[in-house]
Amino acid sequence: MFPLFKKSENKENKQQTNVDKVSIYKDIKKNEQYTKQLFSSDINKDFTFRTVTAKYCDKQVDMFFYSSIVNNEKIYKGIVRPLLEADGKTITDVITIESLTEIKDFDTVVNQINSGKAVIFIDDEDTAYSVNVADFQARTVQKPENERVVRGPKEAFTEGLGTNVSLIRKRFHNRNLIAETALVGERSQLEVSLMYVNDLVDKDILKNVKDRLENLSVDNISNVELLEQYLEERPYSLFPTILYTERPDYAAQFIEDGYIVLLMDNSSAALILPATFWSFFHSPEDRYSRFLFGNFTRILRMTAFAITILSSATYIAITNFHSEMIPPDLLLAITNSRERIPLPLFIEVIIMEIAFELIREAGIRVPNPLGPTIGIVGALILGQAAVEAGIISPIIVIVAALSGLTSFAISNTSLNTAVRISRFLFIFSASFFGMFSLVGALFLWVIYMASIKSFGVPYFSPLSPSFKSSGDMYFRNIIKHEMWRPGQIKPNNLQKKNIPNKGDSKP
Amino acid sequence: MKKTRLKGREIIAIVLLIIGFKLADTTPAQYAQEGKNAFWLMPIVSLLVMLPSFLLLMYLLKKYKDKNLIQLIFSILGKKVGVFMGFIIFLLSYLLLILSARNYTNQITMLYFPESPTTVIMFLFLTVIFFGAKRGLQAIGTATYITLPYLKLSILVLAAAIIPKVVWLRIFPIFGDGLGTILLEGAKRGSIFFDLFILTIAYTAITSNKSFAKGIYFGGAIAFMEIIFFFLLYTTLFDYKSIDKIAFPFHDVTQYVNFGEFFTNVETFFMVFWLGAAFLRFVILIYFGSWLLGETLQLDEFEPLIFPLTLFVFPFSMIVENTITNELIFRNYLLSITTPVLIIFPIILWIVAKSKGALTK
Repeated sequence: MFPLFKKSENKENKQQTNVDKVSIYKDIKKNEQYTKQLFSSDINKDFTFRTVTAKYCDKQVDMFFYSSIVNNEKIYKGIVRPLLEADGKTITDVITIESLTEIKDFDTVVNQINSGKAVIFIDDEDTAYSVNVADFQARTVQKPENERVVRGPKEAFTEGLGTNVSLIRKRFHNRNLIAETALVGERSQLEVSLMYVNDLVDKDILKNVKDRLENLSVDNISNVELLEQYLEERPYSLFPTILYTERPDYAAQFIEDGYIVLLMDNSSAALILPATFWSFFHSPEDRYSRFLFGNFTRILRMTAFAITILSSATYIAITNFHSEMIPPDLLLAITNSRERIPLPLFIEVIIMEIAFELIREAGIRVPNPLGPTIGIVGALILGQAAVEAGIISPIIVIVAALSGLTSFAISNTSLNTAVRISRFLFIFSASFFGMFSLVGALFLWVIYMASIKSFGVPYFSPLSPSFKSSGDMYFRNIIKHEMWRPGQIKPNNLQKKNIPNKGDSKP
Repeated sequence: MKKTRLKGREIIAIVLLIIGFKLADTTPAQYAQEGKNAFWLMPIVSLLVMLPSFLLLMYLLKKYKDKNLIQLIFSILGKKVGVFMGFIIFLLSYLLLILSARNYTNQITMLYFPESPTTVIMFLFLTVIFFGAKRGLQAIGTATYITLPYLKLSILVLAAAIIPKVVWLRIFPIFGDGLGTILLEGAKRGSIFFDLFILTIAYTAITSNKSFAKGIYFGGAIAFMEIIFFFLLYTTLFDYKSIDKIAFPFHDVTQYVNFGEFFTNVETFFMVFWLGAAFLRFVILIYFGSWLLGETLQLDEFEPLIFPLTLFVFPFSMIVENTITNELIFRNYLLSITTPVLIIFPIILWIVAKSKGALTK
């Protein structure tokens, strides 16, 4: 869409590859000096340098790390004490901590120290070693805040990558579950963990994702919320194309079907891709509830979806342009309630809708102790007082409250915002030519959604274009009957279970 | 044109939309002008007249495999005659599109926005259509497939609501003004199936040729039955005396309907779905029209044509003075001259292909 942007990205890429790597010197003094200079150790308070004489080889050993992001006890027990006390031929015999990596150049040294490792230089050796002693501060696993369920697990992702990976591995025990790492960012390199099932995932989509991760040229992407915006194809689009969830069980469900999950440090959420309209529309609880109730909530959500985007707009269209449609008694009630109102209907609706959005926004930002106050002020002043003052007719309060409340039934935060913005588009369009312009806007809205693709997967698939799948779209099937993985993401093995008397169905 | 992921079901949806929704425009009124209360029999005649040619065309497409309508014409008739013929088909479809665009906007203004100028409604209508058509074939197919159930449901509701009001004996006299009129006028209006011919331009854009054929036959059959059924309902609702005086049977019917005692004026409810169908229909027609022209001129990309073609609809459709001349003279005339063209051109193709010996391979 914007070729200019792409061109400039390419140029930057070329520049970066030209940077030369400095390899590690044999002289330990030189290494020491260079490292200190790299990290500005004289002003960098938590950058720590220690030197000991190793017992096993009787040589000087230097050690560098950030004291704020390592586990000090681990350093003492795992590195310092063995160096001072243990015997052995090489350093691998001495330091027995789980990961000991050889390093040849200073770029890696910098990376390793930044990611919480201790780097060891040994005198007369041109190889350095990094030891994983990282201990970043993070929350413990807590309950999901935004995607609550009644039935179902109540663990949420937390801001530690290791914890998040473990939360997913806990739910899907399979040797083919891969947690591959990619680095993003130039100035601050952070790990992104791609989790997928190796023998299910479509290699084209995986390659696409990896390419996009590699081709990002930014200084810093610190969490998945930002990563999502760097990865998506249509940043101007109203509709999200990457699913964002804070529930590890939901992510694991998708992994099992052949999707790819992206995790990062610093984010208590995961990105799932490719995503379709249905994955935004569904909620994890639809599957945890039994068949009938799960589908009942789907019906409720569909109704809520329709009401929230169309109720205010339809009200404007019908009362302003097609009042003959309203039954006489109801029409009289509406006119009666609007008798004293000086404002046009459209302005009335807009005032109420914006007021509702404001209360909602304020409710999120308001400091905890003030929370109840906002509720009272919002409900009392905006509702009752506005009606009594003769600015708003009571019916508008009902309409706006209905469209506002129903929007909460769409549990996915990304789709929720899309729906809320669409509502305003429809309100505006309905005020031009009533139903005619409203249907026109709705039509464009649908056809635009139909044209979106998420990593090459059409937004409304597998409904249309159709693919073999377990049919989890408007409604879900009985779990026992779900025999196919979603065909639109082309999983390598389409069949979930062995069905007697049916052949192997590799696509 | 690259292959899309569309399958037979989207083709069924598209056919059901553009042919099936003819029951809701002025097609029944046109038929009723001549056929009176027997006009519901006329589509059968129209179908019988068009079917051999259409089957012949489908047979040729099958034989030539990876060629769409225009490519088929080019490879059989050669470049010069091919351009001529492709252009005629495009011109007919585009002229019909212009006239029916005027027709639809007139319906909207007359019935729902009597105080708004036709030009403004037309402008808005075309704007929506342009942006819709720009989204491409796959989006159009998907949007049609997704919205069709709701559109058809509204039609079904309407049918269910008017069935209690019809008098079935009103189909008599069974041949209305006489069998001769029905046969002649029915045959003249074979062009209501013109859109099926236009659709074959998408022959190669669907996952397989087989699913295209399946979609077009199946969709055509359902749409045909739907039309017959609704024409029958119109006949039995309005009777011999008034059927030919009704300009917009569908909208008239919706005014008769009520949902119980409380909701007595529900025509706007049906209008919403009718409008949705109208938008989709014109998006499809504009898109396929641009495609026809693009293939005829052998352009690599035909989608840039969508803008000028949509734009030109505006002035051309405003040339006609009023809706009566538009409908009863121009559109009627154009529909009658389209029919022989549609009947003849597959036969010409077949004869030439046969004489070249291309069919025996």
